[in-house]
Amino acid sequence: MDFYYGLAQTMGIHTLLGLSAYIVLLTGQVTMAQAAFFAVGAYAAGMLTVLGGWPILPALGAGGVLGAATACAVGFPALRVKGLMLVVATLAFGEGVRLFFFNFDYQVAKGDIKVGPLGGEGFRQIRYFQENGWTTGEAMLFIWGFVVLAMAALWWFDRSRYGAVLRAVGEDELAAQSVGVNLTAVKVSAMTVGGAIAGIGGGLYAHYTTHIEHANFNVLLATFAIAYPIVGGLKNVFGTLAAVVFVQAFLIEGLRFLGDWRNLLFGALIVAAMNLRPYGFLGGRRA
Amino acid sequence: MKTLAFAVATALAATAHTGSAFAQEKTVHITGFGAKSGVVRSFGINSEAAMLAAADMINKQGGVKLADGSKAKIAVDFLDDRCTAEEGISVLRRIYGTDALVAVGPTCSNVAEPLFGILQKKVDDAGDSGLQMPVFTDVAIKVGLAKISEWAFRNVPNETIMYNSLFYWLKTKYPNASTLYGGVEEDFAHSRASWYVVMKDRAEVNGYKVLGNSKWLLNDTNFATQVREMKAANADIVAIAAHPFTTCGVLKEMQRQGVKPKVLVGLTSSSSLETLQGCAKQAEGMIIPTSFAPVTKEGKQAAETTAKFKGAADLHSMAAWENMFILKQVIESEKISGDKSQLQADRRKIRDGLAKLKETKGLLGVTKRTDDREADKPYLFVHASKGEWKVLHNPL
Amino acid sequence: MLDFIQAVSDGLLFGATYALIGIGFTLVFGVMHKLNLAYAAASVGAAYAGLLILPLSAGAPAWLVFLCAFLAGGVIGWLVYLTCFHFIPLSNPLAALMATVGMLLLIDEIIVHSTAGMPQNYPAMFDDVMLRAGEFTLRGDLLLVAGVSILCMIGLLALLYRTRLGLATRAVSQQAVAAQLCGIRVGRVNGTTFVITGLLGGIAGALIGASVGALSPLLTAPLTVKGLIVTVIGGLGSIPGAIIAGFLVGAFENVFQQFRGVTERDLYVMLLLFAFLIFRPSGLFRH
Repeated sequence: MDFYYGLAQTMGIHTLLGLSAYIVLLTGQVTMAQAAFFAVGAYAAGMLTVLGGWPILPALGAGGVLGAATACAVGFPALRVKGLMLVVATLAFGEGVRLFFFNFDYQVAKGDIKVGPLGGEGFRQIRYFQENGWTTGEAMLFIWGFVVLAMAALWWFDRSRYGAVLRAVGEDELAAQSVGVNLTAVKVSAMTVGGAIAGIGGGLYAHYTTHIEHANFNVLLATFAIAYPIVGGLKNVFGTLAAVVFVQAFLIEGLRFLGDWRNLLFGALIVAAMNLRPYGFLGGRRA
Repeated sequence: MKTLAFAVATALAATAHTGSAFAQEKTVHITGFGAKSGVVRSFGINSEAAMLAAADMINKQGGVKLADGSKAKIAVDFLDDRCTAEEGISVLRRIYGTDALVAVGPTCSNVAEPLFGILQKKVDDAGDSGLQMPVFTDVAIKVGLAKISEWAFRNVPNETIMYNSLFYWLKTKYPNASTLYGGVEEDFAHSRASWYVVMKDRAEVNGYKVLGNSKWLLNDTNFATQVREMKAANADIVAIAAHPFTTCGVLKEMQRQGVKPKVLVGLTSSSSLETLQGCAKQAEGMIIPTSFAPVTKEGKQAAETTAKFKGAADLHSMAAWENMFILKQVIESEKISGDKSQLQADRRKIRDGLAKLKETKGLLGVTKRTDDREADKPYLFVHASKGEWKVLHNPL
Repeated sequence: MLDFIQAVSDGLLFGATYALIGIGFTLVFGVMHKLNLAYAAASVGAAYAGLLILPLSAGAPAWLVFLCAFLAGGVIGWLVYLTCFHFIPLSNPLAALMATVGMLLLIDEIIVHSTAGMPQNYPAMFDDVMLRAGEFTLRGDLLLVAGVSILCMIGLLALLYRTRLGLATRAVSQQAVAAQLCGIRVGRVNGTTFVITGLLGGIAGALIGASVGALSPLLTAPLTVKGLIVTVIGGLGSIPGAIIAGFLVGAFENVFQQFRGVTERDLYVMLLLFAFLIFRPSGLFRH
C-alpha cells in the first residue's frame, strides 16, 4: 500500500508542476522556467523547516510566496519576447537559477553536524515528514490537499471572466488588446499564479525526496512541466491530471514489466500521443 | 473523465505486483535495483547479472537454509531506477510492498542519499515514520552515506584507505616524484568528494606537495584551459577525479598539449570498461586502486559466472555478487523464517544480522565491517595496459 | 596577458563546434519556424550511426565515418520530420514541440541501449596537429571545424537564395497557405529541408564527436541549450549570425571560466544571453 501512496505523492507533486505551467500556457506563453520556481520553493521550504524549525504549512506558504515573487520578476521582462525567444529566455533563466543553487552554500551547525544547502553537494536530511511521524498515507493526503486546492482555484478561474481573458490573450493578443484587455496584467498575473503553485509543489518535493540538489531542477524537469498540460490538453485542469497519470503511473511505473523496453517506449509513446491527439488527451477547445 | 478513469484503471492494473510464480519449493526474494538507463546503464546491467549469477550458484548448491531447517531457493528481481531520486524512492517503496527480504542497490550516489533519507533513521524510534527496509548497497560510493540511516548498509570500497595506500606505495616506487596536481569534476558529488576529501588529503599526508587542481563539469567538452593550467604546474603526478567521459576528454587534450606526467592516477569507479571504450590509448598507464580484479580462485569463478549472465565483472558488480553471499550467510545465521506472515520480522532480523557482522568474505579476501555500516575492503592497484585493466600491485 | 589571449583563442576555436550546430538550429528554428528540440539529439545520434561503419570495415579512415554520419543525419532528419511535423497540424506548434521532445528521449534511449551508455571513442582528423607560434598554440582539428562551418554556410546560403528549393522553403515558412496556392507542395518542401538540415546535423555531430574525442549521451542536453543560445544571439534565421555567435559564445565561455571559475561560467553565459535579449533582441544580424 505504501508503494501506491508513494506513487500518489509523486503524481500529486508533478500535477502541481504541470498546473503551474498550465495557467501560463493558457496565455500563449511557452515557459521553460517553471522548474526554476519549483527549485526556489524547494530550497526555501526546506531551509525553513530544517534550519529555521518552522512547521510545514508556513514553510510551504513561504515557498509559494517566493515562487510567486520570482515569477512576477520574470513575468515583466518576459513580455518583451515572444515565441521561440521566450522559450530560450525562460530556459536560460531556469538554467541560471539551477546554477545559482549549484553555487549556493548556507550551512548552520545543528549539534555537531552542519545542515543546509552546500552547493554541488545538495541539501540533505529534509526529514520533516519522517521526524514528525507522518505515514506515507498522511503525507499523500497532505500533498493532494494542495493539488485539490490548486485545481479548484484554476477551475474557478476557468469558469470566471479571468479565465476567459487568459484564453483570449492566448488565442489572439492583438484582438484581446483591441477589446481593452491589459496584456501586461494578464500575462504577469498568470506567470505569478504559476510561480506560486510551482513554489508550493517544489516545497513538497523537497520534503518528499528528503535530499535536493541543483541537478534535480534541470531542463528535463522544465520540459516535463510543460509536457503535462500539452499532452493532457488545455481544455481544463483535468487534462494535466490525466497526462500526469499517463506519464507517472502508466509510462514510468506501469510499463516496468516490459523491462528495458519501457525506456524506449517512453519517448515513442509521447510521439504517438502527440500525433494521435495533437490537442491533448482531453482536447484544447473549451467545452 | 472517462479517459481519465480508464487511464487510472490501466495504470493501477499494470502496477500491481504479479507475485512470484506458483512454486513447489520455497523461495526467498532479494531484489536489486539500480540504473539501467542513461550513461550509467552498464552498471545496472552488470549488477543484475552478478546478482543473478550468484543466486544461480547458491541455488545450484542447494539454496539457503531457513529457520525450520528447510531449504529455499533465492529469487532475484532487478528494477531500474534510472538514476533519479524520485524513481529510486518509488522503486524502494515498491520493493517494500513485495515479499523481498532486502533490497540491493542503488547504483547512483545521488539516489542513495535521498533514499537513505526516507528510511527510518534509528531502529525502534517509534516517532520516526521512515521506511523500515534493509538496503545493502553495492555501487553508490560517495563517502559517508550509510550513517544516514541504521537500515542502510554498504559494501563499497573505502577510498580514503585505498588512496592513502596508493600514495604511500607511489612514494616508494617513484621516489623522485614529489608534486601532485589534480583534476576534478565539480558537479558530480562522488568525484568532488573524492578529490577534496580523499585524494588531496591523502597525497599531502603522504608527503606530496599538491600544486593545485583544475576544475570542470561532468558534461564539459573543452578542456584547453584546464590542461594548460596542468601543464604550467608541471607536477610529477596528475590525479584525475572524474568519470570516463570527461576523463577521456582531458586525457586527449593532455595528449594534444604534450602533458606527460610521470604518474597518472584515476578515480576508483573509472577502472571499468567505459574508460577503455572511450580512450584506451590515452589512458595507457593510468593507475587506479580498486576492490576487485580476478586474481583469486573465487574472483575468477565469479567473473566467469557473471559473464554467462551477460555482465562484466568489475569492482561494482562484484560487490553485488559478494552481497548475495553475505546475505545468504545472514539469512542462515539469523534464522530467517521465509514465511510471508513474518516478513517484517524477517527484514528486521536481516538488518540486525548485517549490523552484527564484523567481517565478511570478499572476492579479494576478508572485508572488515565498520561501526557506521560501511566496508573496509581489501584492494589492489590496477593500471591500463594495452586496452585492459591489469593488476599492477597487490598489497595483500 | 598571454594567458588571456590564449583563453580567448581556445574558446573561440571551440566555438567553431557551436557555430556548426548553430547553423542547423537557426535554419530549423529561424528559417523554418519549427520548434525542433530533437535537433541536437538527432545530430549526436547521426554521429553514433557513423560509427556503425567501423565493424564493417576495420580501420576505416575518419572521413568515412564522417560521411556515414552525414548520410545517417539525413535519414534521421527525415524521420523526425515524419514523426513530428508531417501529421501534426501546422497550426499546433506546441504538439510538434512535444513530439520532438518525445523523439529526443527516444533517440537518447536508442543510443543508451546500443552502447550501454558507455563513451565511444571517435576518430578525428588533424587532432594531433597543433599550430604553434612561440608559447601560443592553436588546435588544428578545430580549424578544420571552423573551415567546414564556413563551407556549410556558403552552401546553405546558396541553397536558400539561389535555388528553387530555397525559394520554396522561404515561401513556406513565411506564408504556408499562400505558398500552397502558388503550387508549392508544402509537405515535400518541408521534408526535403528537414533532410538537408539533418545532413548538416550529421556533419556537426561527427565533427563535435571528433573534437571532443568521445561520444556520450551526455552531449545532447548541453548542445541543445548552446544551440538555442547561439541561434538567439546570432539572430533567428541568420546563418552568418549563427557562425559568429558560435565563436562569440565559445570565446566568452572560456573567458568567464578564466575569471570566475567553472561553476559560475554558465551563469555568465546566461547573463550574456539576457543582455542580448534586453538590448538587442533581434540578435547580431537581423534576418
